[in-house]
Amino acid sequence: MNSVLAAKDLHLVLNGRNVFTIDNLTLLDGEVMALVGPNGAGKSSLLLTLALLQTPTQGTIVFKGQTVSRENLFSFRRRMALVFREALLIDTTVSRNITIALRIRGISGHEASIRRERWLERFGIIHLARRQARQLSGGEAQRASLARAFALEPEVLFLDEPFASLDYPTRKALLKDLGGILREMGMTAVFVTHDPTEIPYLATRVGVLHNGCIIKLGTVQEVLGSELPDIKELSLWPD
Amino acid sequence: MGVIADGFKEAFRLLVTLNDEVLGITLRTIQVSGASTLISVLLGIPAGTVVALNRFFGRGFLINLINFGMGLAPVVVGLAVWLCFSRYGPMGMLDLLYTPTAMVVAQTIIAFPVVTGLTLAAIQSVNPKMRLQMLGLGATRGQYFLLLIWEGRLGILAAIIAGFGRVISEVGASMMVGGNVRGYTRVLTTATVMEIGKGRFELATALSILLLLLNFFIVSVMSHLQQRGKN
Amino acid sequence: MIVSLIFALALGLILSWAGETAEPAMKDLILATTTSTQDSGLLDALLPLFEKETGYRVKTIAVGTGQSLAMAAKGAADVVLCHDPESEKNLVDAGAVINYQLVMHNDYLIVGPPDDPAGVKGKSSVEALKAVMAGESFFISRGDDSGTNKKELSLWKQADLIPSGRKNYLESGQGMGATLQMASEKRAYTLTDRGTYLSQKGHLKLEVLSEGGKSLLNIYHVMQVNPEKFDRVNAKGAKAFVEFLIATQTQKMIGEFGRGKFGQSLFSPDAGKSM
Repeated sequence: MNSVLAAKDLHLVLNGRNVFTIDNLTLLDGEVMALVGPNGAGKSSLLLTLALLQTPTQGTIVFKGQTVSRENLFSFRRRMALVFREALLIDTTVSRNITIALRIRGISGHEASIRRERWLERFGIIHLARRQARQLSGGEAQRASLARAFALEPEVLFLDEPFASLDYPTRKALLKDLGGILREMGMTAVFVTHDPTEIPYLATRVGVLHNGCIIKLGTVQEVLGSELPDIKELSLWPD
Repeated sequence: MGVIADGFKEAFRLLVTLNDEVLGITLRTIQVSGASTLISVLLGIPAGTVVALNRFFGRGFLINLINFGMGLAPVVVGLAVWLCFSRYGPMGMLDLLYTPTAMVVAQTIIAFPVVTGLTLAAIQSVNPKMRLQMLGLGATRGQYFLLLIWEGRLGILAAIIAGFGRVISEVGASMMVGGNVRGYTRVLTTATVMEIGKGRFELATALSILLLLLNFFIVSVMSHLQQRGKN
Repeated sequence: MIVSLIFALALGLILSWAGETAEPAMKDLILATTTSTQDSGLLDALLPLFEKETGYRVKTIAVGTGQSLAMAAKGAADVVLCHDPESEKNLVDAGAVINYQLVMHNDYLIVGPPDDPAGVKGKSSVEALKAVMAGESFFISRGDDSGTNKKELSLWKQADLIPSGRKNYLESGQGMGATLQMASEKRAYTLTDRGTYLSQKGHLKLEVLSEGGKSLLNIYHVMQVNPEKFDRVNAKGAKAFVEFLIATQTQKMIGEFGRGKFGQSLFSPDAGKSM
């Protein structure tokens, strides 16, 4: 199995505060790693750093065998995609959102059309193609954001608490859909959440972050136990 | 009330008879204020965006300066430009005093901070996470500049409308550096002030009405564009 | 899209003017004069002829007397047409202006409410002012250092009175037209030049109560800003303008100006006379 991302001695200090310290973290091809932890644990910052959008105070990141440096940073970023808790769509139609994203990556014309149709279809929002982004519901917007990310055919996908602002039924439906797609595509991904119940739907591995350090790391089974976790019972981190 | 009613009548008459002088003054008003707004927009929108998106030494001070510039008294600008362009002033050799060009310079100085400051605010009010998302998509600097300007376009259009409004209604600086020369640098505002000074209140009212109509018409077009962008 | 269309239209309008402004500077002549001179309309009648004859473009900058003379003293104008001989003398003596020529005169009037509560009618100018101050009626001064204002102040001096600070003395700080309006509204007295009064008469509730006499004369001179002191003046143009104003033809026109509209001349031509 190949390593897609390998972080070594990764350290981030912001405003005098120690955000996270990671000795060693590897993401393998086809893996979906969940990063969980309480609020303020440093998960999102770690995600952004791995996604090459935040420069670490020290440490190295190796992307598919190549060390990330200033020269290749930009081109590597273009091989990744990011979905946030807010859909962050451009103020235009759903369809144009994907078109613009593809155009930024140098893909247009026929190829762009194919990808766009395919992913709108796959996330069940093809009927919303002409809808203005600001008219979408929370769930629809996130689907659009996901469709956009997938249309870019990234080598790594990063998701930062993508379901946090959705209501329970919407979240459940989307979790199922996304889980299926991730497995189907064999997508390598890192996703951050503060809700451990989402993990079994999407992830193959789990890292628990607390006060900026990884306190547990392993497969879903290892970290969560063999049963499907019940919301009330689960306590992966102290307090 | 009589003066205002007479003013309307006079305005109507001037327009319908296509009074040469008045048409000339109106056209010149559009040209001078239009040019100043255009230049301030071409300079101000990029400037506001750059300041909004970058951290650099002295940024806070610069923002202060821009905000201060928004409220800069036009007559002070007029005096400064006059001193600069007057014959024995630092830029006197350009022979620009009492020309429409000088008026454009003064008006641009007045409008530029307004456009910049409001653009700055518009860009800052775009969700800061949007920037990360754009970068995540792999946008180059230029690309995400344009995307952010698009996202902030309502506020930016407001900036343009505000800048335009400021200069078309400006009289102090225009009078000082333009000189209100008949057929050359006379615009609606300076002509109105002159007629008031002469005590010719109907004509002054008529000119004011024309100015308001012009302002209203141009701003309506811009508002329409702004609101269209919304829907 | 509509946006680009509008943009193109706007750009076209603006660029159409760019051509206009490219003119050689020596064809421009900066004439500093007073607002009341401009407001009389005399220049609007005379300048087109001058421009046609000589090809110069006259930029008339109408400001207060103080400012127009200050402009001359700085060399910021080429030629000055003014009506404050006392202040002008300082400039002549200092060598800031040359070719100082008498052009014309008109006169000032003291106007006031038709019922004349202060009993000014028929009095001489100085006596009239004393009468106003003695009563309850207001006197409106221009208070703007203009020629009219200076004349007014010299009359107060002759009357041996200091009006400022008195509660019935108001300073408008504005042009003659606006000041007359204020006087009309407040049923007050004021000093005005005949020209402005005549053109405003229709809107005012003011009557002429004191006129005539040497002290109410308003004397106009034209002068060139000294090219030897200020090398950037348009000396040729200025000279041409001075000569134009004192030329017989022009003087004749000055004498007739206003007759058609007001039934009386606004100015009396004086070129060549000694005053």
